[in-house]
Amino acid sequence: MAGIFIFSEDRALAAQLLTPALELKAALGEPLTVLALDAAQATELSTLGADKVLVVGDSATWIEGLGEPLAALVAHASVVLVGGTLRGKHLAADVAARLKTGMTTDAKAVRIAGGKLVATRILYAGLAVCDEELPLPAVVTIRARTFLAPTTTTAAAPIEQAVAKADARVTVESVTPTSTAGVDITAASRLIAVGRGFRAKDDLKLAEDLGKVLGAELACTRGIAEDEHWLPIERYIGISGQTVKPELYLAVGLSGQVQHMVGCRESKTIVAINNDERSPIFEAADYGIVGDLYEVLPLLTAALRK
Amino acid sequence: MPNCLVCYKWTLDEQDIKIKSEDLSLDSSRAKGKISDFDRNAIEEAALLVEKLGGAVAALSYGTAAVKQSLKDVLSRGPEKSYWVADASAEQADATVTATVLAAAIRKIGPFDLILLGEGSSDLFNQQTAPRLAALLGLPCLSFVNKLEVEGDVVKATRKLDDSVEVVTVKTPVVISVLSEINKPRIPSLKQVLSAAKKPNQELTVADLGLTPEDLAPKAVRKSVKGFVMQRKNIIFKETAAAANVAKLKESLASLGLS
Repeated sequence: MAGIFIFSEDRALAAQLLTPALELKAALGEPLTVLALDAAQATELSTLGADKVLVVGDSATWIEGLGEPLAALVAHASVVLVGGTLRGKHLAADVAARLKTGMTTDAKAVRIAGGKLVATRILYAGLAVCDEELPLPAVVTIRARTFLAPTTTTAAAPIEQAVAKADARVTVESVTPTSTAGVDITAASRLIAVGRGFRAKDDLKLAEDLGKVLGAELACTRGIAEDEHWLPIERYIGISGQTVKPELYLAVGLSGQVQHMVGCRESKTIVAINNDERSPIFEAADYGIVGDLYEVLPLLTAALRK
Repeated sequence: MPNCLVCYKWTLDEQDIKIKSEDLSLDSSRAKGKISDFDRNAIEEAALLVEKLGGAVAALSYGTAAVKQSLKDVLSRGPEKSYWVADASAEQADATVTATVLAAAIRKIGPFDLILLGEGSSDLFNQQTAPRLAALLGLPCLSFVNKLEVEGDVVKATRKLDDSVEVVTVKTPVVISVLSEINKPRIPSLKQVLSAAKKPNQELTVADLGLTPEDLAPKAVRKSVKGFVMQRKNIIFKETAAAANVAKLKESLASLGLS
């Protein structure tokens, strides 16, 4: 048993996985292999510290159907890190079942202690944090932006082909990219998140105006996206929505339920505006204003414009 | 006419769990049980399918002795029969154990055309059980489904993924995990609650299922569960004059280079 393997069909995420993978390589003294989805990804990842790159498919591959061949490729691995997209999580669980190994979903940190893998993750929708201890071999999924990609490049690792055939029982009829109107809020450095304190869709203009002055994108709670449909689903922050880590997270008219906060609590600075002084959002905020957003937002926009 | 099984988890309602301030441990003494949120969508989807197409729905759960409290609730939501495995191992079970127990139970009470589950449980949210169960049973798995159509032995599912919507087809038997958007679970009527009491339920013991202590020992062992506490500055401006608060916030943002 030896070796650390990483896989993600998401290119940026695959590069990010190399950061914890290189730490595990140092801790275990075992080689690091990248499983690349296609040739282009293989070339890109080959200079970020891996010892070997295996190309397992192509851009048309149904990722979730690769469980059986990938389990065979990583049969002797110590640790397999998989990018925690939904496709990645499905694939990772399938591989873990075939290898009869434990798996941690959405680890925030991983380390080796006493010959075991210790992974940190959240429970109860963010209410609690726990360490899970797994014997090796272990499978771990890690979500995007949990780690930064390595910044130093190395000599290119050898790239080899490893033919993997996806589960042919499932037929993909169509794949339609979700339209996000060109905005990726997870990449924004400043966000204004709106909640039910806004009484009507048109009132969101107050937040938009502030956003223009601050250079911030709009985000929202699940209620605003899924119940009111005032903003696209892609903009809602929370356990089943987006996870963001901006420099500034300005929460306006939202109470700060744990299911929402789990998606933004790693923000550098959190600012809250809410009319209820007892609202839990203030416990989660660095700065806050207790007041009516309909009064505070225009004042703040005007003050920052000066 | 599909023969359906829904697998569900009886979890603690996380709304009732408190964090003890002295040591950040969790106090769940006041937490009531509930059918895990996403599993309620799986139960509803199976019930809707059978109402439309005919066939049957049974329910299956693995839990501690508390799982017995779930029987009336689950049976009031559509299934005609429920199977349950109550074992102390469930307290510390990881997805490896859960999938192993469910697979063993399905081998005994199955086969089924459609096996439905929620995408993840409200407590651990490992999102592993459906793909693991499918792998153990040798069945295909369609995960994260928000629309399901069944015609004869062909299942057409719409899956909502991170950056795309995918439509896939597969022939039964198949394991399916559903998203919360797929439906709105019914609130059982008084009549449905009353009739639930008359529906059959059957206990399956781990011995019946031929499971060994090794099968029931988790691979991923949860250690040091602690309440999450935000470390924030908590500087709150609450003067009556909004303009004064705004001026102070502007100053604070400027000091951080955020204005």
